[in-house]
Amino acid sequence: MIDAVYGWLDDRLNISGSGRKLVNKIFPDHWSFMLGEIALYSFVILLATGVFLSLYFIPSSKQIVYTGSYVPLRGLHVSEAYASTIALSFNVRAGLLMRQMHHWSANIFLGAIVVHMCRVFFTSGFRRPRELNWIIGVNLLILAIFNGFLGYSLPDDLISGTGIRISFSILESIPFVGSYLATFLFGGQFPGSAIIPRFFIIHVLILPAIIAGLLGAHLALIVRNKHTQFRGRGATEKNVVGAPLWPTFFAKTNGFLFLVAAVTAILGAAVQINPIWLYGPYVPYHVSYAVQPDWYMGWLDGALRIMPSWEIHLPGHMVPNAFFPAILLPGVTFTLLMAWPFVEQRITGDRLEHHLLERPRDRPHHTALGAATLSFYFVLFGASATDVLANYLSVSLNFVLWFFRIAIFVVPLVIYPMTLKICRELQHTPGGGKTKRHNIVLRSPEGGYSTVVSQARPGDEPPVLEPVPLDGPELVGAMATGADRRSSGPLGAAATGQGGGVAGASRARGVFRIPRSYR
Amino acid sequence: MTTRALRRVLVPFAVVVLAVALGVFVLGRSHVQAGSPAMENPGIQLTASAASRYGSITEGRTLFEASCSACHGAGAQGSALGPSLLARGAATIDLWLSTGWMPLAEPTAQPVNKPPRFDRQQILDIVAFVTSLAPGGVSIPSAAALNLKTADVAQGFDLFSLNCAPCHTITGAGDALADGYHAPPLHGVTARQVYEAVRTGPSNMPPFGPRQITPAQLRGIIKYVTQEIEHPASPGGISLGGVGPVAEGFVGLFVGTGACLLAAFWVGDRTEREDDEHGGGQEEDPKDGLEGAHV
Ligand code: HEC
Ligand code: HEC
Repeated sequence: MIDAVYGWLDDRLNISGSGRKLVNKIFPDHWSFMLGEIALYSFVILLATGVFLSLYFIPSSKQIVYTGSYVPLRGLHVSEAYASTIALSFNVRAGLLMRQMHHWSANIFLGAIVVHMCRVFFTSGFRRPRELNWIIGVNLLILAIFNGFLGYSLPDDLISGTGIRISFSILESIPFVGSYLATFLFGGQFPGSAIIPRFFIIHVLILPAIIAGLLGAHLALIVRNKHTQFRGRGATEKNVVGAPLWPTFFAKTNGFLFLVAAVTAILGAAVQINPIWLYGPYVPYHVSYAVQPDWYMGWLDGALRIMPSWEIHLPGHMVPNAFFPAILLPGVTFTLLMAWPFVEQRITGDRLEHHLLERPRDRPHHTALGAATLSFYFVLFGASATDVLANYLSVSLNFVLWFFRIAIFVVPLVIYPMTLKICRELQHTPGGGKTKRHNIVLRSPEGGYSTVVSQARPGDEPPVLEPVPLDGPELVGAMATGADRRSSGPLGAAATGQGGGVAGASRARGVFRIPRSYR
Repeated sequence: MTTRALRRVLVPFAVVVLAVALGVFVLGRSHVQAGSPAMENPGIQLTASAASRYGSITEGRTLFEASCSACHGAGAQGSALGPSLLARGAATIDLWLSTGWMPLAEPTAQPVNKPPRFDRQQILDIVAFVTSLAPGGVSIPSAAALNLKTADVAQGFDLFSLNCAPCHTITGAGDALADGYHAPPLHGVTARQVYEAVRTGPSNMPPFGPRQITPAQLRGIIKYVTQEIEHPASPGGISLGGVGPVAEGFVGLFVGTGACLLAAFWVGDRTEREDDEHGGGQEEDPKDGLEGAHV
C-alpha cells in the first residue's frame, strides 16, 4: 500500500532521487545534539495548542460586564480578551489544559533554546562554516522571547497589563524616537484599545511565520553544512558518523517528540500556571505588588530593578533611567551574541573550517567566558525576584537589592577563574568526567579473591555473573559484559576477551550497526 | 496644548496633590493615635461597665500585668519598650492578640504571626481591661458586620485589587515591603481579623475608615479574602504559592526543560568516545552537501 502510493508519487514527482539522499542523511546522535529538537518540538506543540486557543480567544479590549460562571468576577467590567480567557479556562472542554500546556510549552521552548545555544557555544559548534546558522539561532531566540512576552500579555489581566505598561514606558525611554515609536505601536497613548488586537496578530501570525521560516533555514543549513560531531569513533573533519535519517534517526526523533509532548502535557495537567482568575482584569490605576514577567524576560526585569536611578541629560533631551537596563542591555547582549563567531576569529586568528567539536575543557578560556556570561544573566534573573526573596528569607528588600547590585559584578568574576581552573584540572585527569566502570570481584578456585574493572559502558546493564565453574580458565568470561554474553553465549565470549566486549556492546545496542537491508 | 506642555503643568500639580495626600494621611493617622473619638461608632464612649461586656476586667488586669505591662506600662500608658494602648480600641487589641503578634518576643522586629498566646476568653478579658482604661477606637465587629451571606464578592475582589493588592499582592501571598516591613499572607485569616485590620491599620498598613470603604463594601472584601482568595477549588493543578512567574519560571526551567533533557539523555547516544576509535557508524563526507550522502 505504502509502496503503491510511493510509486505513484515517485512517477510524478521523482522524489526518490533527492528523497533517497535525504533519507540517507547521517545524523550523529549524541544526546546533546537533541537539545535543539526539544525547542523544535515545543514549537510544534505551541502551534498545535495555540491554534486551539485562538479558536476561543477574542482579541479585543472592549469593556464588557462579566456574566460568566466565575462568581468573584460577576458584574465587574472586564475586557473581552480577559473574559474570553476566563471562559476558555473554565467553560471550554480541555481549555484550561490547552492554556496551561501552551504556557508551559513556551517556558520549555525558551529553556531549550538557551540550553541548545549553550551546547553550541561551549562545544564551539558556531565556527566556520556555521557562523550564519549561529546568527539565525540568535534571531530565533530574540523572536521567541518577544513572542512569549506578547502571548503573556494577551489575557489582559492585572499582572500582564502592568507588564504592558512597563514596556510602554521602556519604549518611550528610547532617546529621540521613543515617544513616536511607542505611540505608533500602541496606536496612541497607553492603554488605548488597539494594543490587544495588534499584539494578537503579531503573536499568532507574524512572529510565528517568521520563526517558522527561520527554523526552516536553520534546519536546511544543518543539512547543507552537515552536523558537527565529537571526536572519536572514526569521526574526522571529513566525515559524519552516526545513524541515517531513515529509519534509525527518524524513529528516535519521533519518539522524542512524544516524550517532549508528554512532559508538557503532564505539567499542563498537574501544575497551575498563570491563574489569571486570581489576578483579575487589568485596570490602569490598580497595582499589585510582586509583579514579574515570565522567566525569559526576567533578566530584563531584574536589570530594571537593580539599576540605580541614573539619568543622562543631553542638550535638550533627557534619557530616562529605563533606557539602560531595558534597551541598552538587550541591545548589547544580542549584538555581542551575533558577532561572537567573528569576534572569536579575530581573537584566535583561527579562520579554518571546523566540523569536529571541542570538548569544553579543551578551550578553558572560551568555556570560562561562557560560564561567566551565563552567571551574569542568571544573577539578573535572580534579581527579578528581589521581593519574593526578601519575603521568603525575611530580610529587608534593600539588603536584597544591594546584594544583587554587588553580586552582578562579583559572581562572574568568581565564576571565570573557577571554570578556568576546573577545565585545566580536567584536562590533566584522563578519566575525568567519565562514568565509573563496575568493579567485579572474582573468586578463584583456590578461594582467593581479586577485583577487575568491567568493560561495561554506561547504559549497559551491569554484567550478569554466573557461578564460576570451579576449574578451568573460563574465569576470564566474567570480565566480558552482559551484552557480550547475550550475543555470543555465556562462555563463548571468554575467548574473545575485552576486544569482543566492545564490538558486542555496540552491536547489541543496535544504534550504530544498521541492518543490511536498509543500506 | 502639546504633551510636553501638558506634562509641565501636570507634573507639579501631581506633586502638590501627592504632598497634600501624604500630609492628610500622616495627620489623620496621628490624629487617630492621639485618641480622638473613635473612627467608627463615634457616639459610643466606653465606660468600665461598657467594657465589661467583652469579659472580666479583673481577669484581664491580671493577665495584662503578667504579660504586657513590662512593655506597655501598668496602666497601658506606654513605656520606652512599647506604645500606649490607651484609646486604641477593642479591635486593635483583639487583632494583635488573635494573630499572635503580641506579646512581642523581640522588642525590635515587626511582629510575626504565631499561634495566639491566649484563648478567646482571655483575649476578651484583656480587651475588657484595656478598653476600660480609656474610651475610643474601633470596637470588635458585631456578628451582623461579619454576615457575609449577602456580601458582593465581585465588588470585594475589585476593591481588594484596588486597595490591598499593592501590598498584599493580588493573590494574597504577601510580600516584602520597603524599610524591612512585610505584608503578611492573607491565607487562613479570619473574617474578624480582616475587619479589624482594615479598620485599625496595624503598623505599616493604613486604616480604612467607613468613608473610604463602606460597611457593605468591607463585607465584600472580607468575603473575597476569607472565601475566595485561597480558591480551594482553583483549577489547574498544584498552585505554586501564588508568587507568580518566578516560581513558574523555575518549574518551567528545571522541571520542564530539565525533564526534556533527561529524555534526550535517555533516547540519545551517550557512549564515551575516546577509546572507541574503530566503531562502526555510517559515514558521510561533509564537503558535498546533499549530493554525496553515503549509501
Ligand atoms: C516586649 C515588649 C512588649 C510586650 C511584652 C507586649 N508588647 Fe504590645 N507592643 C510592643 C511594641 C514595641 C509595639 C509596637 C509594634 C509596632 O508598631 O510594630 C506594640 C504594639 C502593640 C499594640 C498595637 C498598638 C497600636 O497602636 O497599633 C497592641 C494592641 C499591643 N501591643 C498589645 C499588647 C498586649 C495586649 C500585650 C500583652 C499580652 C503586649 N502588647 C505585650 C511591645 C510589647
Ligand atoms: C501599605 C500597605 C498595606 C495595604 C494597602 C494593606 N495592608 Fe494589610 N497589612 C499590611 C501590613 C504591613 C500588615 C502587617 C501588620 C503587622 O504585622 O503588624 C498587614 C496586615 C493585614 C492583616 C492581618 C494579617 C494577619 O497576619 O493576620 C489583614 C487581614 C490585612 N492586612 C488585610 C488588608 C486588607 C483587606 C487590605 C485592603 C483593604 C489591606 N490589608 C491593605 C500592609 C498593608
